[in-house]
Amino acid sequence: MTTFRGANCGLGAKPVCSVFTDTGSNATEGSGGVEMRYEAPETMKAAVALLASDEHGRVLAGGTDLLVQLRADTIEPSLVVDIKKIDEMCAITRENGGFRIGAAVTGAELGEHEAFKSVWPGVVEALELIGSTQIQGRATMGGNLCNASPAADSVPAMIAAGAIATIEGPDGRRDVPVGEVATGPGRTSLRAGELVASFLFPEQAPRTGDAYLRFIPRTEMDIAVVGAGVCLTLDDSDVCVAAKVSLGAVAARALAPEAAAKALIGTPVDDAALAELSRAASAAAQPIDDKRGTREFRIQVTGVMARRAAETALARAKGA
Amino acid sequence: MTGDLVGAPVHRLEDAALLTGTARFTDDIELPGTVEAAFVRSPHPHALIRSVDSTAARNLAGVHAVFSHADLAPLLTRNLIPPDNPTLKFAESTRAVVLAKDEVCHVGEIVAIVLADSRYVAEDAVALVDVAYEVLPSVSDCRDALAPGAARVHRDAPDNVVATFRAEYGDCGPAFAAAAHVLPLSLRQHRGGGHPIEGRGIVARFDPATEGLTVWSSTQGAHRVRDALVVLYGLDETRVRAITPDVGGGFGSKHIVYPEEVVVAGAALALKRPVKWIEDRREHFLAAIQERDQYWDIEVAADADGRLLGLRGSMVHDQGAYTLLGFNVAHNATLAVPGPYLLPNYRLDVTIAATNRVGTIPVRGAGYPEGTFAMERAMDAIADELGADRAEIRRRNLIPADRIPYELPLKARDGSTTHYESGDFPACMEKALESAGHDRFAERQAAARDAGRYIGMGVANCTKITGRGPFETGIVRIGPSGRITVHTGAMAMGQGIKTAYAQICADQFGVDPGAVKVITGDTGTVPMGIGGFGSRQTVTAGSSIHLASVEVREKALKTAAHMLEVSDRDLDLKDGTISVAGVPDLSVSLADVAKALSGAIGYARPKDMPPGLEASVNFLPTGLTYGNSAHVVEVEVDVGTGGVRITRYLVVNDSGRLINPTIVEGQIVGGVAHGIGNALFEWMGYDDAGQPVTTTFAEYLLPTAPVVPNVEIVHHETPSTVNPLGVKGVGEAGVIPAAAAVMSAIESALAPFGVRIRETPISPPRLVELIGEAKAGS
Repeated sequence: MTTFRGANCGLGAKPVCSVFTDTGSNATEGSGGVEMRYEAPETMKAAVALLASDEHGRVLAGGTDLLVQLRADTIEPSLVVDIKKIDEMCAITRENGGFRIGAAVTGAELGEHEAFKSVWPGVVEALELIGSTQIQGRATMGGNLCNASPAADSVPAMIAAGAIATIEGPDGRRDVPVGEVATGPGRTSLRAGELVASFLFPEQAPRTGDAYLRFIPRTEMDIAVVGAGVCLTLDDSDVCVAAKVSLGAVAARALAPEAAAKALIGTPVDDAALAELSRAASAAAQPIDDKRGTREFRIQVTGVMARRAAETALARAKGA
Repeated sequence: MTGDLVGAPVHRLEDAALLTGTARFTDDIELPGTVEAAFVRSPHPHALIRSVDSTAARNLAGVHAVFSHADLAPLLTRNLIPPDNPTLKFAESTRAVVLAKDEVCHVGEIVAIVLADSRYVAEDAVALVDVAYEVLPSVSDCRDALAPGAARVHRDAPDNVVATFRAEYGDCGPAFAAAAHVLPLSLRQHRGGGHPIEGRGIVARFDPATEGLTVWSSTQGAHRVRDALVVLYGLDETRVRAITPDVGGGFGSKHIVYPEEVVVAGAALALKRPVKWIEDRREHFLAAIQERDQYWDIEVAADADGRLLGLRGSMVHDQGAYTLLGFNVAHNATLAVPGPYLLPNYRLDVTIAATNRVGTIPVRGAGYPEGTFAMERAMDAIADELGADRAEIRRRNLIPADRIPYELPLKARDGSTTHYESGDFPACMEKALESAGHDRFAERQAAARDAGRYIGMGVANCTKITGRGPFETGIVRIGPSGRITVHTGAMAMGQGIKTAYAQICADQFGVDPGAVKVITGDTGTVPMGIGGFGSRQTVTAGSSIHLASVEVREKALKTAAHMLEVSDRDLDLKDGTISVAGVPDLSVSLADVAKALSGAIGYARPKDMPPGLEASVNFLPTGLTYGNSAHVVEVEVDVGTGGVRITRYLVVNDSGRLINPTIVEGQIVGGVAHGIGNALFEWMGYDDAGQPVTTTFAEYLLPTAPVVPNVEIVHHETPSTVNPLGVKGVGEAGVIPAAAAVMSAIESALAPFGVRIRETPISPPRLVELIGEAKAGS
């Protein structure tokens, strides 16, 4: 066991500003120095037992969010459970024609997994937009999901891909669609002692393409102002027979508007369908005004991003 | 000139250490027994301090002391930071204090310093210092600060006006009355801060044995730091030494003496042990200087052909809570307006307003980007009004080469008029347009529009005052070791200036620049110094070093002539060796000469030469020298998202004679990157009360490598006539017309919508909004 003393920030009780205030977290009070336990169990069972034993425990995967929050004093956990020593958390395996990805697999590892990348390029491009090359070497899909930022890049891509989160907890194992894990900024539907163990990307139908696009003011190293993931499947005559659209950073959690998907299904994904998708995506967006973008701007750009992501997904479906 | 090093693209001598991790920055100074500092800072934009209770903090294990104003006041001769010669009378209430006594006027203002075994403990203790604040009304925006009934930035001030002044020549009244076109422009200009990657930092050590105070500070002015400490602690200047180790950028943010520096030095005096403070990024956002806001309401008058007749109006400048360096930004902004153009009549009324935000002083460019932006927006407005080509309107207004030297009756800070002593502004613009393919751009633009793409080309010109005096010392010394050392009061902060100085000196001795050791930023080796700012050090220190090198060379030759018993006209100086022409075996080394001049007891010195192979020169510039540049930018605008991509960036730059083209190009590219930041990204946000809302690099966006294009640079060398090297300053050149050129390019791309940009920076949401407004208005 290792203990750390928390250091407090220099500006008294009121945080002047922090990137985390966007996600609704509050600065911790107190000036103290809370003893923090670090554990790195090697089995899922041990991890679950540890998390169940301490309601202020946190899961550590890549640490790209957790460590920043610790440093900024926005969290002060009494227990940190490092899951990287649990084999299945770090494994990429085939399962029934699909892929199972451990929650602690890093974006960089997935980006170098040629088989996964060729099937789910949209998911990989979302992961490769997170932070920088260095960050991608640590950051994980599990962490991106459970940090529950509305702007998480990989989440809309996973939702569009139809990914399932496998959750382990004191009551055993359960599967839920990825879209049901985050419930709002910094909040998840995980129960006490539960953690996301892996993601299942089910076998993909033929002629399916996915894509993820986000808008930021710069070209990299930023947090999505709007994100859009699209996955669509064509039949042999190029008519869209299945589609999922997911939007990030325009609501308290990633959205998956049915109307946007319906705008594509049954169409050849032509201009009219794309225009309808764009309208439906904008209509579904419920963004806030903040320093990254106004509400009106986000609504407009949601439609633009959804349309462009669909165009890429379409090209991939045709090329696949 | 003697050798061929001046003008050569010599590799930077600084880089080996920087690239191999052996450079030494302030944080690398590690002294035994050092305590680390953290500051208690105001969380309020404006408040009274009712009490400061540091009992709990002092009781924390590892804490050595907590000093607030009451504790440090007995050591200080006064609680005011020396101002840097402001030229105007200004509101005394805005004089910067060392430590807040009973009132804080911006978030981040220091209230107390905590000294502890480590920064971690110090920061824990900071949280335990109980400051009782009574929050006072505050004012955030400089326009609001001037409104009747506005909250007062300082409770004792009658209002928030720091100073007012007028820049004027000619007579705008008749000019405007007779003008074919009078066009109003309201401009909002924002420049965030300097944001060097190495923040501020200082290590201070008091040595009781010598009663000496030594500070290592990441500053742009070691001598000013020393002088401030001498004044504020009543010390002897010979016992105070300020040293500046390697510096990771300044850009203006290290140009002043800060309260933190004074307080850390005071803590070292009080504790009699070394004290270190290294700024963190949040502190930089809260308490390092910024440049920030100007609001211009102007109108420009032009004749039927688009020739300028006059420009007049008013400007409000955000000074922040304290006057840290006079009024350079506002003043320079007014000076920059005419730029390279023939502007016959001009009047600008400036109001400098205090706000409850951290103080503003120059960031790289120092008001010139703002003045240039105003004039360049006016140029584009005239072109749009006339339906004329934007380059053509500029062509009609540029000062022709045959009018140089050209004098404007507009006074600089030192009272001198604006005197363009050299340069060819039209040639620079034509070269830029030609290189950018401006003639054929309309075709490409039309073809792109047919394909649904919006591309645009913008152009902007500027001049920049450089080489400000009064002096910067250059000392050249060759000791009996034969090693050549240059000492100067100039400040190296990453520019590569040590390499340039080494080239200037080495040229006189026929040695490799690497053989010349250049020492900068050490008050222990040069008694006086001004510092690194205002694109001045190549002109001032460079000329001094050149003249000192020539003097040392001549002395070496004369001495060698005596030693070799030949005429000095028959001597060659090469590779550090002086030999008789045609008789290479007959020679003495510079070490031999230096040894001879260092004297031997009981023996005569050579030919009654004064002792020592060294010279110290203070070149005194007789006038300022002006650089100029023309920028042409090509952009593509994504009208769906407001995203702007810079696809081409071309600079024609005249910085006079180049000492080292590689270093000059580095300065220009860095400046352009800053300008792109000002144009598209950098925004220092505050809420209505004055609480900063962008205090990380996730919120305050700097331009990163992918958004800064490959900058194509063409040099146009017109030697300066006012210094022996023919050089002009270049440190700020790249930034000045950049935002103006980028905005011009965006307007060009969005011409089908008629978008007009009157502000910096322009974010994607704002651009989408402007496109929407333009569509609705058309």
